[in-house]
Amino acid sequence: MFCAAALFSIMPAVKYAAGGWYKVAHGACYTLKGEAFMKKIKKMFRYENVGMLFVLPAFVYMLVFVGYPIIRNIILSFQDVNAGNLVRGTKNFILFDNYLELFQDDVFRTSLFNTLRYTVMCLVFQFVIGFILALFFSKRFTLAKPVRGILLVPWMIPVTVTALMFKLLFATDIGVINYILRSLHLTGKNIEWLTTPGTAMFALVCANIWIGIPFNMILISTGLTTIPKELYESASIDGANRIQTFFSITLPLLKPTIESVLILGFIYTFKVYDLVYVMTSGGPVNSTHMLSTYSYKLSFEMFKYSKGSAVANVLLVILMIVGIFYIKATTAGEEE
Amino acid sequence: MDEEKKLNGRKNMVFSIISIVILCILLFPLYWALITSLKTEQEIFQNPPTFYPHILNLKSYAAQVETGDFNMFRSFGNSFVISIGATVIAVLLAVPASYGIAKYHFKGRKLMLLSFLVTQMLPVSVLLTPMFIMFKNMHVYNTWIAAVLADATIGIPFSVLILKNYFASIPKDLEEAAYLDGCNKFTAFLRILIPIAKPGVIVCAIFSFLYAWGDLAYGMTFILDQERRPITAGIFNFMGQYGTKWSYLTAFAVVTIIPVALIFIFMQKYIVSGMTSGAVKG
Repeated sequence: MFCAAALFSIMPAVKYAAGGWYKVAHGACYTLKGEAFMKKIKKMFRYENVGMLFVLPAFVYMLVFVGYPIIRNIILSFQDVNAGNLVRGTKNFILFDNYLELFQDDVFRTSLFNTLRYTVMCLVFQFVIGFILALFFSKRFTLAKPVRGILLVPWMIPVTVTALMFKLLFATDIGVINYILRSLHLTGKNIEWLTTPGTAMFALVCANIWIGIPFNMILISTGLTTIPKELYESASIDGANRIQTFFSITLPLLKPTIESVLILGFIYTFKVYDLVYVMTSGGPVNSTHMLSTYSYKLSFEMFKYSKGSAVANVLLVILMIVGIFYIKATTAGEEE
Repeated sequence: MDEEKKLNGRKNMVFSIISIVILCILLFPLYWALITSLKTEQEIFQNPPTFYPHILNLKSYAAQVETGDFNMFRSFGNSFVISIGATVIAVLLAVPASYGIAKYHFKGRKLMLLSFLVTQMLPVSVLLTPMFIMFKNMHVYNTWIAAVLADATIGIPFSVLILKNYFASIPKDLEEAAYLDGCNKFTAFLRILIPIAKPGVIVCAIFSFLYAWGDLAYGMTFILDQERRPITAGIFNFMGQYGTKWSYLTAFAVVTIIPVALIFIFMQKYIVSGMTSGAVKG
């Protein structure tokens, strides 16, 4: 009560002081540099800068919910934060200890290697298959467009569902893949795909390729339509065969498309999370951990938040390096 | 493209048949999940497997209606609310933002554009822990709001980058004509530009919805109670608890695919445009 009363008694004084400052500030603007100030205001509301008002809400939203978390994550990785001091309490700075520990950590090294291996394998196959399909569907037959359209479905399906479907296909007892292999006499007994280290990775790669094919196919298809038909005509007049045409016209002219398909594919595959988490959760015995799943495990299963953040940051750095190529590729053709 | 000769009779036939074969192979996983959801548990474990359900069994779906811990229709509702929320935020913020970026050359424009590009590449792992702390402090942890706020961060950058191309392609004369008719910048934007860019807005809404619908990490991490979790997290939980109850699991999967299938059937042309313009032009 006393505090409140004291506050009220001070209030007029505060108001007066503030008012005074306001007058001083106000006066300064108009007397000392009044003109410059007005110009500045006018400049701020110049035609082009109005555009910023349109962008600002989205930008601020992203700053709050993405920009700030990124910085927070970097800080976290230099601290020692666990379940005890996550929300409240003091967080000790241990600088690079998390990172140093990680590089001694076998699971981390495995997951880094796994992520690279997985990404490269997926990229190669989904790109080649996507490319072949794009070439195939560029032929003008009746079903070309409708079938190509339906083939986009795998890309749209929630990854959790895809993971479930492939778990079913690769199931040991009832899996169709084991059934087919048995019928073809390629294997005598059922393979335990998801619980054997080497084969679990294979199953993951298959599932990811399935998701990636439509994406590669549609982008390359679009790229193909931008190649002028006259080039092919003059090539055939010159007597070039199909393989020659492919290597001397199609590939070089598709270069920008291929670049962005591969870079984007790398980014999307490298940050894979849901698929691996649902299909294997990094198992068996950590053999299929990726950087993202290992980071999740450290943070939300072992409650070593700082270490999890450090793993996520390693992932981020690699993605950003690749991202620079992507930004260069996409902004090269921009106006201005 | 259009001048290129169509394939003649026989070749057309051969290519069409090959395309059907490709289609069957690639969509087989989907077919398999669908028929598994319609089989009895006994038939699922039958050897050799049956390639269509011999006894039609709808129990896996019906059992879910009668409540239980894993009511998939409640999860479906949760997912729906979360995805719609994220879509609304993404579209409301991205439409003006993309217009600003496409039509004005203000200071910092490039930086903003770049930051939208970069956020598209971010892995969820980087954001999970800090968002988790943030939502706890905001007291929205374990509510739909947390998932909505997080999911919108996927839709916004994507939508801005796509819509920017739509707005950029609208000729300036059209805008100027609107000014002559007495519009100011804001009314011109609302009455002239948005209607023209409508297909782009639809693409953004569809993709924001699909991203939010497919999200697992945010929904699982920021919502603790199963009753409020999205359907993807429901599937994951279910797998952990009833690992081999495949009829239920696949029924769950089929229900999750329904909205995706509907979007695909009714809005296919927007999907191709979203997949390509978003990726190639950045």
